[in-house]
Amino acid sequence: MTVWLTFMAMGVLVSLAGALVRVWRGPGRADRMTGAQLAGTSGVAVLMLLAPIEGWATLDVAAILALFGALAAVGFVKALSADGGGDPEEEDGDPVPLAGDRND
Amino acid sequence: MQGFAFRHLLGRIAFLGALWVVLSGLEPKALAVGTVAVPAAVWLSLRLLPGPRHLAVWRALRHLPAFLGASLLGGLDVARRALSPRMPLAPGWVEVPVHLPDGGRVALGAELSLMPGTLAAGTRNDRLLIHLLDVNAGFEDAIPREEAAIAAMIDGEPAPREGG
Amino acid sequence: MTDLATHVFTGLGVLFFLAGSVGFLRFPDIFSRLHALTKADNLGLGFIALGVAFQAGSWRQVALLALIWALVLLAAGTVSQLVARHALRERDGR
Repeated sequence: MTVWLTFMAMGVLVSLAGALVRVWRGPGRADRMTGAQLAGTSGVAVLMLLAPIEGWATLDVAAILALFGALAAVGFVKALSADGGGDPEEEDGDPVPLAGDRND
Repeated sequence: MQGFAFRHLLGRIAFLGALWVVLSGLEPKALAVGTVAVPAAVWLSLRLLPGPRHLAVWRALRHLPAFLGASLLGGLDVARRALSPRMPLAPGWVEVPVHLPDGGRVALGAELSLMPGTLAAGTRNDRLLIHLLDVNAGFEDAIPREEAAIAAMIDGEPAPREGG
Repeated sequence: MTDLATHVFTGLGVLFFLAGSVGFLRFPDIFSRLHALTKADNLGLGFIALGVAFQAGSWRQVALLALIWALVLLAAGTVSQLVARHALRERDGR
């Protein structure tokens, strides 16, 4: 079981490494912002997988990481928004037509 | 009304107390700290979220299996599209008018973002902007259903079904 | 038996993490990429939590696993909305 869980943790790290290529290349700032969320989720997954091996106290660390990962991601969005807005319910002003566009 | 407020307070104490026990265990020392931490958390929750509206917990719980099933389908769908060599995508947008109170819209957006093919991207003029992974797959049909479910959780009453 | 469940569920979880990363790399625009990341990674984390729960020795460990997953789910749903809205504003030049 120890070997299996270690390999699974490595699998999660491999997927994180792959996703970091996108964070590196971008192109948008939003692509890079997701790096914060990604590192949080992957870190939580690794800590969960190591809990039966290293001791269940790693779950406490995972809980803190889940909490801080969320706050970090919100912080990123707020820091990069021109008006510092972070409230998803805040109204956007003048409507821009959306229909038919599928680019980035 | 006072009886309602009392039950509301008891509900918060029970929820935050259970959270404390899960986080720190049942040792006497942990419980001792909890006698300070839990009332402080209840006070803070009343300051930050005083609203008279209450979440109908059992309705939320009743909706949980459907949500978990839908998020399972959402993950399977997106994994299939990502791993398929053809990568079948037809991204597009829909704007959906929503009639939920504050907090409801962001809950709906969060839920839709975990369900198959839909992703919320804020609101404009009381209309929720939803990105669709595939405009031909009918993912947007789930939106009015989820809106009704969330409205029922907030008000404790079944909401009228409204089309998007 | 419990070991088998752990193998199956953690294996599934890692597969979803990998699929999410593949989608994040391949999908053509930021919004589609956010779909891949939020949905696949959170499902993957759910399977990993479920798999690890079969190794747990007490109810508190199981409850903590569920709590952490719920927290990440809540955060991911909120954060993906924020990032998508930011990307939309950036694209529209505001």
